Amino acid sequence: MLPRAAWSLVLRKGGRGRRGMHSSEGTTRGGGKMSPYTNCYAQRYYPMPEEPFCTELNAEQQALKEKEKGSWTQLTHAEKVALYRLQFNETFAEMNRRSNEWKTVMGCVFFFIGFAALVIWWQRVYVFPPKPITLTDEWKAQQLQRMLDMKVNPVQGLASRWDYEKKQWKK
Amino acid sequence: MARQSHQKCTPDFHDKYGNAVLASGATFCIAVWTSVATQIKIEWNLSPVSRVTPKEWRDQ
Repeated sequence: MLPRAAWSLVLRKGGRGRRGMHSSEGTTRGGGKMSPYTNCYAQRYYPMPEEPFCTELNAEQQALKEKEKGSWTQLTHAEKVALYRLQFNETFAEMNRRSNEWKTVMGCVFFFIGFAALVIWWQRVYVFPPKPITLTDEWKAQQLQRMLDMKVNPVQGLASRWDYEKKQWKK
Repeated sequence: MARQSHQKCTPDFHDKYGNAVLASGATFCIAVWTSVATQIKIEWNLSPVSRVTPKEWRDQ
């Protein structure tokens, strides 16, 4: 049982430095939950649950809980942290950590938007009717000439963009 | 009290594959949409200004 082994290490090595211990305990807690741990633990909106995180204590942990009933100045730093870890699953820093979930979410969003383009492709091949004659390139060119001859929208619109002397679009 | 980032110890799915999912999803989306927009002869009917050369129509 990794947490128990780490637990014994904590008590034996006292205040040697909690970084390694933090990692291993945190790792295990982050993984599958074993029986002595509750399923609902503290959240930012539920910071002080009634039940402690670790409910079944072994002998060492129970001894520590007894010591906790005395003066807290007698507890070493490592013991205080161990008591915290009995009571809570994660620290606030741990539970509030950022995540990279947005990358997965946006990747899937883009994937499905791309899938929509495939659907439109299929529709273009199998559903769209034939193009009307009025949308062919030749018809559109002749239609454009007729509109220019009529001087359609000569103030700010189409005919205003055409240079009638040079017979080309204005730059 | 030292604060450590536990994320580094147990990378979850998003840490391992998030960048790949994001990049591949985005490239797939851009690639397929540009090909749909340009390659499959959808009539967008864009403005003729600076695009279409008028052609004489009265000879019909």
